[in-house]
Amino acid sequence: MVSLLALAWIYFRIGLIFVGGGYVLIPLLNHIMVQQYKWLTLREFLDGLALSQLTPGPLAMLATFTGYRAGGFPGGLVATAFIFLPCVTLMLIVSRNYERLKKIDLINSTLEGVLPAIVGLVAAAAWNLGASSLSGVRELVIMAIGFAVFKWTKISPMIVIIGAGLVGLLIN
Amino acid sequence: MDTREQTISLTEIFLTFARIGLTGFGGGMAIVALVERICVRQKGWITSEQFMHGLAFGQILGPFSLNVCTFTGHHLRGIRGGIVAAIGFILPSFLLVSLLSWLYFNYNELPQLQAALRGTNPVVIGLIVVVAIDMGRKQIRGANSALLALAAFGATVFLKLNAAWVLLAAALWSLVASIWRRRYS
Repeated sequence: MVSLLALAWIYFRIGLIFVGGGYVLIPLLNHIMVQQYKWLTLREFLDGLALSQLTPGPLAMLATFTGYRAGGFPGGLVATAFIFLPCVTLMLIVSRNYERLKKIDLINSTLEGVLPAIVGLVAAAAWNLGASSLSGVRELVIMAIGFAVFKWTKISPMIVIIGAGLVGLLIN
Repeated sequence: MDTREQTISLTEIFLTFARIGLTGFGGGMAIVALVERICVRQKGWITSEQFMHGLAFGQILGPFSLNVCTFTGHHLRGIRGGIVAAIGFILPSFLLVSLLSWLYFNYNELPQLQAALRGTNPVVIGLIVVVAIDMGRKQIRGANSALLALAAFGATVFLKLNAAWVLLAAALWSLVASIWRRRYS
């Protein structure tokens, strides 16, 4: 078992790098947990990755899994709290200054100008996710039904997603 | 400060984001689409523009699904609201992953959840598409904005560029365009 303080420090540093871009998280955790400290085998790491993809929430929940391995439930708790600490802090600082910054004309017009790019990014996420998980007619039909329900009804999206999970369990 | 501060309790913020965390399958943008539907559409807690600004900041600052929750929570109730939203969002996944980790490291077993994902994944894609269309309807007016949206889409899908860099480039472009308009109009 590793001391919780050491764990906190390690995950805090990962969290700082994480702020620079979420995409480095997987190779980084792999490097630190598997190669450097040898807390997990590569096999366990990959299983943990699968587990974080299967469960709701961000992929960064991988921190909970690796932290759990290193220090049990308290380890998982410390890992989760500290990996997210830097980004939540920074995001709070940004949010706090957002209204004020928006009053500056140049910043406001820049922010407005970025909005179309966000539309492109959201569409790109749908495309990328579709390319990796729409493998047959059945999936396309489910997607079309989902689209129609979200577009033209007021059913809560959470109920639709849970329903879709049940459908997935039933037909597979 | 505005009136929303009195009307929405921290408990409601916590419960809403906990439910989002519990149903947020599919990661990243799937979660953002879910937050958008609930906080912008259903509850009207934040305007579409403000939400998209939050997404832009969140995208640049790393784990954007969590970041949009923090941003929305802060918008409602300040620092405390942001912290409550972030904790509410993470807590269900944390408890679930802890439980599954315990199962895995003690019994070497992972539950067979893949089948459920075959149902949720396509539906979540449908959700993201709906959100993209709604956002596009509001934000894309004229050729310039359509081109910028297409460029961002292409840079991410075909050039495989990191979304944060794409956004920074778009911000720089937009900044230069604003300065240009100011000087020559």
